[in-house]
Amino acid sequence: MTTEAPDPQRVREALAEATGDDPGALELSPIEGGASRQTFLVSAGGEPRWVVRREPAAGMSFNSLEVELGAVKAADLAGVAVAPTVCFEPAGGRFGAGAAYAMEFVSGTAVAPRVLRRDELAIARERLPGQLAAALAQTHTVEPGAVEGLAGGASDPALEACDLWEAVLDAIGEPLPAVEAGLRWLRLNPPPPAEPRLVHGDFRLGNLIVDAHGLAAVIDWELCHAGDPAEDLAWLALRSWRFGNDDLPVAGLGETEPFLAAYEAAGGARPDAERLRWWEAMGNVKWAVICARQAHDHLTGARPSAELASLGRRICEPEWDLLQILAGPDGSGREAERASGGVP
Amino acid sequence: MQDRPTAPELLDAMAAKLFAEVREWVPRERRFQILVLANLCAVIARELRAGAEPSLADARLFRGLLRRPVEPAIAPQEADAVARATAAELAGAIRAGELDDRLDEAIGRLREHVARKLEIARPGYGG
Repeated sequence: MTTEAPDPQRVREALAEATGDDPGALELSPIEGGASRQTFLVSAGGEPRWVVRREPAAGMSFNSLEVELGAVKAADLAGVAVAPTVCFEPAGGRFGAGAAYAMEFVSGTAVAPRVLRRDELAIARERLPGQLAAALAQTHTVEPGAVEGLAGGASDPALEACDLWEAVLDAIGEPLPAVEAGLRWLRLNPPPPAEPRLVHGDFRLGNLIVDAHGLAAVIDWELCHAGDPAEDLAWLALRSWRFGNDDLPVAGLGETEPFLAAYEAAGGARPDAERLRWWEAMGNVKWAVICARQAHDHLTGARPSAELASLGRRICEPEWDLLQILAGPDGSGREAERASGGVP
Repeated sequence: MQDRPTAPELLDAMAAKLFAEVREWVPRERRFQILVLANLCAVIARELRAGAEPSLADARLFRGLLRRPVEPAIAPQEADAVARATAAELAGAIRAGELDDRLDEAIGRLREHVARKLEIARPGYGG
């Protein structure tokens, strides 16, 4: 995907105005990997200083950039490590066609395989599960009303999630019977309604900047909404987000029990196993539908990209995990599994 | 008839070249994109080799879940279109609650369909 970078001179003006300090001549370069929003690294004198995050001209976003910015600020106030925001420019402003904001550059890496495998991040890996649990507990202290325009917030977040992903699936028009069967089961077996809180919505390696000390910043709040906090906890356990470390359910880094204990110790309310399982299944629905939507954005020409196209052929991965969760490991169905005392 | 290499053989060659050589030519932060392309070549090669059988099996499975009487045989060249059309009907029926009384069975059987997709797109993922 090629995208036109913001004009360095106009970015300089905006940053000088926001910080009260002229940074001098700036260089902007696109950062690879953002699936939906465009991100640019802003350097001054060869040093990375800021990151500009901009709404794409085409393709659907789940939240406006203003809402995303509001969520980052609210999370910051709640003590979550985020990249501090610097300034906002509306669509057609000094950062270009789409609405955009600038944040401070946070050094480290967000690339999941590096986080999981690099030698110099060994200590970070030991600390991360506890740090991630604490960051989520802090995020989940935020009341939805603290973020203006935040999506979601229905009295039953579980059924609201069913409605949302059914609607996205309908907009795509791709027939996915396995996803439909999962959605139907989830709709018929929801957990009791949870009190909605700010949920990050895509909390996993890839959206977390990690340095040698561990978690440096939680980024990419595009999918944030008011929802059941268990959604974030379960999302982190999706097999897709273990990046090959299949036997370590928490982000490919750790075990579930100490992670939940750390979440509880940091003030989070521990969800029961059934609720977590429901949201893990829903997480797989969500990832399958997002894959389908990304491929759809390629197919319609909204965002032509071989990488987005390739996601259409990854739908079957979360579909498999979804059906495995709902069928139980021996395929005998959930009822038989419950009768035999359940599987953790 | 085309001369050898066959289409899957050409794709194998492309995948090998992208994976082993081209990847090294591009800047480190963009190598992921080359891996995506190499993987797509491998996916297409597997799909061509599998032929119409996976779509035929899917169409039969979907019809069975819809409790359709056995219909006339499907021509291989129509297998994909028939499977997609039947998948859309099945998806609609599930959404409408028409399979609620046998949803566990549908969930169990649809794993066969997903396993067939994984055989092409990501062998080994289904265990």
